Amino acid sequence: MGILLQTLINGIMLGSVYAMVALGLTLIYGILNVPNFVHGTLYMIGAYIAYFAIVSFGAPYWVGLIVSLIILFAIGILLERIVFRPFYDKPLINSFIVAVGLILVLENTALSLWGPEFRQFAAPSDKVIKVMGVMITAQRIIVIVTAAVLIWLVHLFIKKTRLGSAIEATSQNPDGALLMGINISHMRGITFGIGTALAAVAAVLVGPILLIYPAMGHTVIGMAFVIIIIGGMGSFIGAVLGGYIIGILETLVTSYITNFFTEAIIFGLLVLLLAVRPTGLFGKPH
Amino acid sequence: MLLEVRHLDCYYGQSQALKEINIEVEEGECICILGANGAGKSTLLKTIAGLMKPRRGEIWFTGKRMDELPAYTIVREGITLCPEDKKIFPQMSVYKNLCLGAWIHGRKEERIKANLEHVYELFPILKERSDQDAGTLSGGEQQMLVIGRSLMSNPRLLMLDEPSLGLAPMVVNSIFETIKEINARKTTVLLVEQNASMALKIATRGYVIESGRITMAGTAEELLKNEKVKKAYLGI
Ligand SMILES: Nc1ncnc2c1ncn2[C@@H]1O[C@H](COP(=O)(O)OP(=O)(O)O)[C@@H](O)[C@H]1O
Ligand SMILES: [Mg+2]
Repeated sequence: MGILLQTLINGIMLGSVYAMVALGLTLIYGILNVPNFVHGTLYMIGAYIAYFAIVSFGAPYWVGLIVSLIILFAIGILLERIVFRPFYDKPLINSFIVAVGLILVLENTALSLWGPEFRQFAAPSDKVIKVMGVMITAQRIIVIVTAAVLIWLVHLFIKKTRLGSAIEATSQNPDGALLMGINISHMRGITFGIGTALAAVAAVLVGPILLIYPAMGHTVIGMAFVIIIIGGMGSFIGAVLGGYIIGILETLVTSYITNFFTEAIIFGLLVLLLAVRPTGLFGKPH
Repeated sequence: MLLEVRHLDCYYGQSQALKEINIEVEEGECICILGANGAGKSTLLKTIAGLMKPRRGEIWFTGKRMDELPAYTIVREGITLCPEDKKIFPQMSVYKNLCLGAWIHGRKEERIKANLEHVYELFPILKERSDQDAGTLSGGEQQMLVIGRSLMSNPRLLMLDEPSLGLAPMVVNSIFETIKEINARKTTVLLVEQNASMALKIATRGYVIESGRITMAGTAEELLKNEKVKKAYLGI
């Protein structure tokens, strides 16, 4: 019982990270119709920025998190403008090649600047809370709560604000949005910024629990793609629920079955689901 | 002159869709553009709305050059388009679709509310359906939504691309009644139709477009009497 509870909490924590990364990815996909392969690399950069803010400049944890959020928001806007915008009307392969190039450049820069070694920064609190015989570190609770709050805020932003409606309109019908007088390039930029900032925050939240290194984005981005395919490409609820489901599932499989084939099992589930529902759980049939 | 289109040439890749188009529209008119399928009617409206850029020629509106402006600024100048394929936001509510129509009004809540009242008055069904997703509306209701949404920006020139397409005769009648009413309230209308008999009933003047060229122009009466128009577009 104790172990199960511990596992579930770890699963929800991992799911929180997945949900945030996948949400960013799905928002960007929804409005740009481009699978953003650079997302995992930006997640890594978000972690390093917080690391330097916290460890090199001695900033408090929350300041590091906010600095990383703001910088990655700006990087997202710049990337959309400089790297992706010229390729919207071109075949997908163009932006794919650009993305692969960008990943290589960014990761090799990270590798040569900061080296391959694992890094970590301290959690804002090292308290451990005991619940029903289970020890839970404060950071796990911070991850879970912060992620839930941020996901809720993004939801409110999209559903309740003027700008949010314009973003939703742009992703549902870009030409329709243009006819309303909406500057769709701005909407794409803002969305890219928000999506990227979500990835950065996810990375900073797990920074004290997992390790920071140049290739840290690879498994996360792989999982995030699985999640948004399962949830339905472009679906908000699909990415969030999918994130939690996969996070919990992965943790359960690792602790109760095997930690060798976790990814294989999850990919197997994906294939199974797509055979039954080709558009994913919440995807819109075409 | 409210709208002036001069020597307009438009292409899709290599193939020319519009050739030397010249059109003039005075404030308050209701102009119809007749033409067979593929003649270039939608291309003309899309180009005026800024969704396509012409290769040659100019578009002037209230003395300002339009064809060089980015598409999203055209509606601010007072031109709106109800496109043939509607371009609604299917997973957003009817209410949100309408509010997006007033995007250029920013946070002028009073004005947006007044416009909303006006649209609900023209199309009471939209008020009933205001919380429903736009994608769940019937074809006729969607057409009403598109017209309603375009009125939310208080256009000086309202362009409609085949508003009768695929609708039942009863619905077509009421849509045309509404267009007539909108025009009577001082909004200039540029109407593209294959349903020539309906269009010429409410239009003041018209143009006929064939394979990308204007081949005829005249008052609605002249066009109604013209033998060629009778044969080709009125089925008489
Ligand atoms: N997206 C497109 N790509 C290539 N050719 C097009 C496209 N849209 C329209 N055309 C061509 O341009 C011409 C005019 O089309 P259109 O303006 O849609 O005619 P209409 O609205 O009068 O039916 C047609 O020959 C059509 O095949
Ligand atoms: Mg057409």
